[in-house]
Amino acid sequence: MSELIQQLFDGLGRGSEYALIALGIAVIFGVMHLVNFAHGELITVSAYVTYFMFNNDLNWWLIIPAVVLTASATSVAIEFVAFRWVRGATDFTQMLTSFGVHFAVQAIFIMYVSASFKSYDRPGWIANTVTVGGIRLEVIDLVTIGVTVAALLGTAALLRRTMFGISLRAAAADFDAARLMGVRSDRVIRGAFLLAGVLAGIAAVFVLMRTGRASPTAGLTPLLKGVLAALIGGLGSLSGAVIGGLALGIVEVLLIARLPAAWVGLTNGFVFMLIALLFVFRPGGLITVGKAERV
Amino acid sequence: MNPETTVQPERTMSPALSKSPASMEWVRRLGGPLLTSIVLFAALVLGGLLYASGGGGARDSLVTQMLINAIIVVGMQIYIGNTGVLSFGHVGFGAIAGYTFAIFAISVERKSVTVSDAPFGLSEIQWSPLAAIVAAVVVTLAIGLVVGLGLSRTAAQSGAIAATVITLAVLFMAREVAVNWDELTGGDRAGLSFGIGDTLESRWPIYVALFASLLLARLYGTSRSGRLAAATREDNLAARAVGHNPATHQTLALVLSIVVVAVGASLRVYELGSITPKFFFFEFTLLTLTMLIVGGRNSLTGAVLGVVVITVGNEVTRYLAGPSVDSFEFVFRPGLSKLFLGLSMLLFMIVRPGGLLPDWELDSWLFSRWRRRHETKPVEAATDEDTSLGSEVLKAESITVRFGGFQALDDATLDPQPDEVTGIIGPNGAGKTTLLNVLTGVVPSTSGRFSLGSNDLSSKQTHAIAREGVVRTFQNLRLFGSLTVRENVAVAALHRSDSGDSGSQPSVEELLVAAGIWDDRDRRASELDYGTARRLELARAAATRPAFLLLDEPTSGMNEAESLAMTAQVRDLARLVGAGVVVIDHDLGFITGVCDRIYCLAQGTVVAVGTADEIQADPIVREVYLGSVADDGPGEPRDS
Repeated sequence: MSELIQQLFDGLGRGSEYALIALGIAVIFGVMHLVNFAHGELITVSAYVTYFMFNNDLNWWLIIPAVVLTASATSVAIEFVAFRWVRGATDFTQMLTSFGVHFAVQAIFIMYVSASFKSYDRPGWIANTVTVGGIRLEVIDLVTIGVTVAALLGTAALLRRTMFGISLRAAAADFDAARLMGVRSDRVIRGAFLLAGVLAGIAAVFVLMRTGRASPTAGLTPLLKGVLAALIGGLGSLSGAVIGGLALGIVEVLLIARLPAAWVGLTNGFVFMLIALLFVFRPGGLITVGKAERV
Repeated sequence: MNPETTVQPERTMSPALSKSPASMEWVRRLGGPLLTSIVLFAALVLGGLLYASGGGGARDSLVTQMLINAIIVVGMQIYIGNTGVLSFGHVGFGAIAGYTFAIFAISVERKSVTVSDAPFGLSEIQWSPLAAIVAAVVVTLAIGLVVGLGLSRTAAQSGAIAATVITLAVLFMAREVAVNWDELTGGDRAGLSFGIGDTLESRWPIYVALFASLLLARLYGTSRSGRLAAATREDNLAARAVGHNPATHQTLALVLSIVVVAVGASLRVYELGSITPKFFFFEFTLLTLTMLIVGGRNSLTGAVLGVVVITVGNEVTRYLAGPSVDSFEFVFRPGLSKLFLGLSMLLFMIVRPGGLLPDWELDSWLFSRWRRRHETKPVEAATDEDTSLGSEVLKAESITVRFGGFQALDDATLDPQPDEVTGIIGPNGAGKTTLLNVLTGVVPSTSGRFSLGSNDLSSKQTHAIAREGVVRTFQNLRLFGSLTVRENVAVAALHRSDSGDSGSQPSVEELLVAAGIWDDRDRRASELDYGTARRLELARAAATRPAFLLLDEPTSGMNEAESLAMTAQVRDLARLVGAGVVVIDHDLGFITGVCDRIYCLAQGTVVAVGTADEIQADPIVREVYLGSVADDGPGEPRDS
């Protein structure tokens, strides 16, 4: 029993990262109908910023704000350079645009830094555990979950209480109608990328603390998990993305714990297969949400 | 797959050409694709040989690789180009084929070193390369069919994004299995490799495969299934509304494309002499997708052009990047090719998303030139006032639709007669379009039934209802944008309903004349002005030879003169094809001018029914329209 609780907790820790990334992907999908395959590059860029700051003897307390800032700025920059030009284009065009950005950014790091990974020191407390009632919990999981809850509450407040948040939700529900009602599409889209960037930045801090390395493909795995989580939640649904992320994290941890040793390497494969099957039987995603948030 | 498709009788490829000489028809069906494939093949091979004759082993192998890449890209074009579904999975299928080929073709001695414990006794056998390619195709096809069933289901129902994600899952699954199933695949680093001297030496197998792929791709592109897939690509709902089942054609396109990709991938492995999980993964996906979209994914010529442009571009970048053209240069600039490809993709998506040649094929170009010179305008078919419209009653009984808490339709009952034009009026939000959506299977009803004659349609899907003879137009135009006007009509005629009397059917050309769009016949639908586009939509619906035409605000956005012309055309076309007509509009003046019988809908309920005069005198209708009836002349510009 305590083992299961431990695993669930571990899953929530992982899932929190996925949820933050998925939420960003869902926010952008909501306003642009774009599945952003370049979202992982926010983490890649942040990883190299971390590496360079570390090489200059700066510590994690400075790196954390720098990472969040980098991810946000990169997100807005990518929108400015690429996505603004394909607004309203077909899904096909938009997806391939993000695919192009994904590879261009990767290539720049391969060419001007290195194709192989660069390591930096992870914070000392990362491997620490605390024992609560006989259950051993990792500190990093606790911190991730705590910060994610805070970030989600903050995002919820932003979406419900501020004019920007209301415009964004209106645009996600019906972009054209929102425009006719005076919502400024430019500002909403840019705001959505900024918000997605901040969320990805927070996720990046934890991803980078766990991995301890920067590589041109650092963002690939988090991106895939984020996209999958957003899909499970029915793309475009914000609460669905969060639930999808947490569910994905838990399923992964449970699969790793339960699968025979020789099959553990196939965990991602199984997750993919489950999701593909999900789409065959429920093309709208796992969670069907109210129309207010759907596109 | 839908069983209904298989029982559809074979029809001529294009009714448009039923009157041209039989020899010409034959030339078009087989000769056109053959000509295109020969020209494309010759261009690729001769260009390659010319470049390779410059000397050097590096050039030689570059040309070989280009030709094999061309096979794979052509395979991808069959699916991605014709269906418009973005697939990352084809490289995953390539991986499956590549490994299957390798495990069968590599010599036993070689395998005893690398994968001595291969399951199913695979380390004990060695097949000829040709047999191994066949095995690769069979295995990949078996896996592809399972994926394809899910793929076509999602692509048809929830659009391209979910389907794309499934293809991404294929790519990653293939890689994960390749990395983890060491006994079979040699694992992540070693992979599988051929012994020295066992690899592909001659280019002849590549030539044969390339030519066959080109011909297959072009034959499919011009086939009935290929044209239907393209119509679905342009507008999924509109394609279903004229009777096409998207899943059928997408599955066929997938099967053919997997066969071609599997052959190409096997040859690639044979030529390279080894395979690792890294090879058929993201970078190869980037390379092949960039080739496909830079050239123009919708056309075979575009795909081939893309292969050449990207291959040349890659070489030029490599050359510009360093002082030496030595192939070792690449080792020092590992990201360069990726940057070039990534930026090319980005740039084309922004500047020219359709690619260099979005829709051009040699044979269609030649044929349309020939036709323009030899074609004469058909005489407008005479329809006299006594010709009846349709012959079967459309019956809707107690249709109720609820969206959440909102009651869009409440117990609506109608029975439009086949020999009349039936109007449905009502203010905005009365449920008119919802009713039409229910009758065409776009929106499921909460309760109630509807039927055509004795044929119950209540639980049928959109495309099945259209084939039974109930066909609609859309309030917001939905044409097949990149197809020409003639193709829009011809593609709708492919599923003509077999119900109704056996009178002669008007040809596509006669329909074009009747709808008044003959002069625009070779223009693309996306270029048409609003009024012409509306008439095309009407002609396209009529081309399915429906028992009932349901028109959703056919004159919205038109001025008085255009509306009157449209009104006459609606009747003419309905007589020509022998269909009953239901027109929806919120303009009482227009409806009373056209219709024999009118239903008035308010808040989802039928509140009145009668002739134009009766409806205009009806106090309830007057109330619904706030007393504005008397001033509302026919055909005044409406606020839609």
